[in-house]
Amino acid sequence: MENLTIEATKYTPKITLDKSGKISLVGKSYPENTFEFYTPMMEWVKKYFENSPAEKTVIDMEIIYFNSSSSKLFFDFFDMIEENAQEHNIEINWIYDEENESAEEAGEDFIEDFEELNIKLVAK
Amino acid sequence: MQIDMNKIQSIVDDDGIIFLSYGGYLSQTLISGMTEVLEKEAEESNVDINASNKIFTIFIELSQNMMHYSKSMNQDDDSLRTQGLILVTRDNDMNYSIRSQNIISLEDKNKIEPKLKEVVSLDKDDLKKRYRELRKSGQHTHGRGGGIGFYEIARKCNSIEYDFSKINENRYYFHIKTTIITKKDK
Repeated sequence: MENLTIEATKYTPKITLDKSGKISLVGKSYPENTFEFYTPMMEWVKKYFENSPAEKTVIDMEIIYFNSSSSKLFFDFFDMIEENAQEHNIEINWIYDEENESAEEAGEDFIEDFEELNIKLVAK
Repeated sequence: MQIDMNKIQSIVDDDGIIFLSYGGYLSQTLISGMTEVLEKEAEESNVDINASNKIFTIFIELSQNMMHYSKSMNQDDDSLRTQGLILVTRDNDMNYSIRSQNIISLEDKNKIEPKLKEVVSLDKDDLKKRYRELRKSGQHTHGRGGGIGFYEIARKCNSIEYDFSKINENRYYFHIKTTIITKKDK
């Protein structure tokens, strides 16, 4: 399986999918068609867990702001990760600016919704 | 016909309008460009990151809604007509208002009106609860999104006002005004 990098645009984040176990999303997220935009990422991650995930997978999410369809997509993304959480060592970092309370709150919502996942709030 | 630009300028100045787009066709690139303008405005007005991100999120939700749902006045024409009015204003107390107006079908009015009624009636804790419930259940999920945009907006603003005015049997003007208070309580 190949690594996949999707470069950032003004309204979509930089996505890095590295089979050594490093996944990251950095930037803003308000695509015109969110589900379509994230399809390659979702397919990659699905295959990654089906094939041979690394011993430890670290997922860094640093999304400055996002629209509501991205919020739904991130939920579905975490849902897919959670299905693999029992068998694999997965760490998720929800990274936000320390003054950005809504970003912190968004991270807290995900922590409450995914008790099986190891999601850490990381203030910068 | 002569257009009096000074008149337009004085409306803009008097009403504290900092950003206005009227009648044009909305596109994703345009929305992203307008969001950049708002980022500059927030930076120059020293709006903190928390309040400014609320402004951007609401602006994006409202303009993407217009892009995805606006119809022409002609009720026999069901194709999208991605036009609308979006307006951002700021008063002397640094309260920002974002207003949008566009034409929607009766069918979409019937979909969004119950959501709007609900969001204006809920407090922040109940909004959070409903938002998470709907996001989880995917009950309102459709091709373009999670159907939770108005809940997102309501969580990020201090007040919402809206109205529908009938154009014909199948078309309505939808107007929504959201206000964001950027000054923190002392």
